[in-house]
Amino acid sequence: MEQAFAYFTIAWLDPSLLLLVAAGTFAGIYIGAIPGLSVTMAVSILISFTFSWEVNDALCLMVGIFMGGVYGGSRTAILLNIPGAPSAIATALDGYPLAQKGEAGQAIGIATVMSVIGGFLGILVLAIAAPVVSDFALTFQPRDYMLLGVLGILLVGSLSGESLAKGVMAGALGMLIGAVGLDPLTAQERFTFGIVELWNGISFIAVMIGLFGVSEALAQLHHLDKAAVRQQVSKIVPSFSAIRKYLPLSLQTSGIGVIIGALPGTGGDIAALMAYDHAKRVVKDPEVPFGQGAKEGLVAPETANNAAVGGAFIPMLTLGIPGDAVTAIMIGALYIHGLNPGPMLMIDRPEMFWFMVGNLTLANVFLLIFGLTGIRLFTKIVECPRGVLIPLILLLSVVGAYAVNNSVSDVYWMLGFGVLGYFMKIYGYQVGPVILGVILSRLIDENWRRAIISERESLPDFFLNLIASPLSAVLLLAVVLIFVSQTPLWPRRRSPR
Amino acid sequence: MRHILLGAVAALGLTVAPALAEYPEKDIQGVIQWGAGGSTDTVMRAVTPHAEKLLGRSVVMTNRTGGVGVIATKFVQSQDADGYTLLMSAENPQIYKVMGLADTDYSDFIPISVLARGVPLIVANNDAPYNTFAEFVAYAQANPGKVRIGSTGPGGVPSVVTAMLTTQVELPVTAVPYDGDGPALTALQGGAIDVMPAVLGAAIEHVRAGRMKVLALIDTVENPALPGIAPITAEYPGFGDYLPWGPFFGVFVKKGTPEDAVAKLRAAYQAAAEEADFKALMDGRGFKLMNISGAEAEAFLAKWQSVTSWLVFDAGIAKHSPEDFGIPRP
Repeated sequence: MEQAFAYFTIAWLDPSLLLLVAAGTFAGIYIGAIPGLSVTMAVSILISFTFSWEVNDALCLMVGIFMGGVYGGSRTAILLNIPGAPSAIATALDGYPLAQKGEAGQAIGIATVMSVIGGFLGILVLAIAAPVVSDFALTFQPRDYMLLGVLGILLVGSLSGESLAKGVMAGALGMLIGAVGLDPLTAQERFTFGIVELWNGISFIAVMIGLFGVSEALAQLHHLDKAAVRQQVSKIVPSFSAIRKYLPLSLQTSGIGVIIGALPGTGGDIAALMAYDHAKRVVKDPEVPFGQGAKEGLVAPETANNAAVGGAFIPMLTLGIPGDAVTAIMIGALYIHGLNPGPMLMIDRPEMFWFMVGNLTLANVFLLIFGLTGIRLFTKIVECPRGVLIPLILLLSVVGAYAVNNSVSDVYWMLGFGVLGYFMKIYGYQVGPVILGVILSRLIDENWRRAIISERESLPDFFLNLIASPLSAVLLLAVVLIFVSQTPLWPRRRSPR
Repeated sequence: MRHILLGAVAALGLTVAPALAEYPEKDIQGVIQWGAGGSTDTVMRAVTPHAEKLLGRSVVMTNRTGGVGVIATKFVQSQDADGYTLLMSAENPQIYKVMGLADTDYSDFIPISVLARGVPLIVANNDAPYNTFAEFVAYAQANPGKVRIGSTGPGGVPSVVTAMLTTQVELPVTAVPYDGDGPALTALQGGAIDVMPAVLGAAIEHVRAGRMKVLALIDTVENPALPGIAPITAEYPGFGDYLPWGPFFGVFVKKGTPEDAVAKLRAAYQAAAEEADFKALMDGRGFKLMNISGAEAEAFLAKWQSVTSWLVFDAGIAKHSPEDFGIPRP
């Protein structure tokens, strides 16, 4: 125990490591905030940049960037309706309406505090239950991933706004977009029309930037002369009673975040969306309806995506299996620095585990400090005249879409989806379900087919195992319950308002 | 006016020509064929900083993924053959032709260095009722279709290894495709698949920890990382026709690149690959350091292409016959 504490505080007591974590967290917030610049990209560039460094130095910087980046995505989501990263999509749903009401400062304040709380809970689970959680994560079979995907698709109900039919339509469009490219199992071309650039599918980030950012910029052109919303900048730090009020919800959504983050096949983006859906289901009477600036709609995704960071480290540190794309790159970095990340890492290099836990904790502390300072300056962005702001949003969108794959065709996709999103907005279609469809189509497609191939293409065996395995049975039950609860078959306990 | 312009262009040409001799006179672009964090990416980002020191210029690396590496390969081909665009890639282009993916392969490129080669293994879930390759084959034959073997799609390393196995033994197994050997090895530990052909580097840490067992080492010699495991040729000498075989990594430039640029790049990458920490990385990840170029590399690439093309064709997963492209049977 004393030993663990000594390892835990390595980075806390060494001024240069402390500075690296701080610098990483600070840089991460801005990298995360700029759409198209991703943590994955930053960390992989850092591999060659930190090549000649000590391994501890490199890891401190990477951990800082990871923690800061996951949080940073919420900034542009709240202020400009452009999620800086896929894990901030759900944040935009209620964050942006808050900014439109002049409460951007408060929204960022609560997103920051909740991200930090989620982050700490994720780290706590990593510290005390890592081996148990990673063994649990390994028991997920292809059919369980498929059920998770189906559970996710049911979120269309929460995201479709005025009309479920329009939501289902948008979700189906998303699944179609997700199906483009080489078939992940057989490498057959699907909807590619013989164009090599389409083999890898349509860049999901380009779709996201177009549908959220560009469509919003186009929609704002209608109100070019309207004065910008004055932002209230008092009361940025949420009160203690407000935090206590959201604590039960944040505990639940952090739990979702840790588990989804620890699963090797899913990451923070799905975690945040599922948490948002969970909040919508359990919070009966939000002060403001969801989608119009409910604080709960910020609390849920922001706790979940930061909790997923701790979650992603669970299989990485215990088994050498990456929990998401960023931890996959960090495993590569460990190899380059002469370590052998795997199940033996905790035995060969026992200090590594607690050193990482210590770094994550430290990064989370810096997140609170950097997150809560400079909010005033940030909210000024929304107060810019629209004639200045709209070209800026468009420029940011073009740069972001290009940066993902250094590909000009992604910029065209982004613009095309921007125009599509604009018309969707005019006709009352929500863009959220499209993104949901893109994210989940591959998860469902691959795992359904993998599951059925594993059962040697026997449907009876597939359904038998669906019920025989406790995990699958629980997931199936959840899917059925959520589905039935939305139909008239479900007895309504609450009297209609 | 036209004459003046022409004169200006000519003058410019005169001043630039001698400078070109001093390759490299600007930063070099490195195009990585696979995504961030993958083995190709890791290898390239580990070796290139050493080469940069010798070249005296930065090598700016970008990941240009997609289409089984076709997009990066075609991109480098579309650039000038001036030595300023490097293709940092894996074995895949050598079977683009037979798989019907693209009309190019490494014969359109000059190898700067074929850095290293992976050694394939067959690993199995710990609970599997067989402990050796022979027992596995007997079990699979007694229970046709029951054993689930991981794959990474047609043309991927596991599919080629499985094709190689079926040239010597009858193997009625069910192939389940995954996104890569990492996810497949995770699925193996969770029991979603039973057996997986994987490169040593990807599986070794899990084997050391006792989380999976080795059924066979697909090589002609014993491996220092796996003492006591006999190579598969000890029991099945027939595999000797194909071995040694494994996925590889290399740095390439487009055909037609000036001699001096090729020579400088070769010298830089050859020295870089001999650095102690790069060697340690290759050992740690279970790769065999090759560091070959010139005729030796071309011979290796040609043999690899011939072995693999015919294996995938005979297994029925290729779209075209290697004969159509003049690839001789090994």
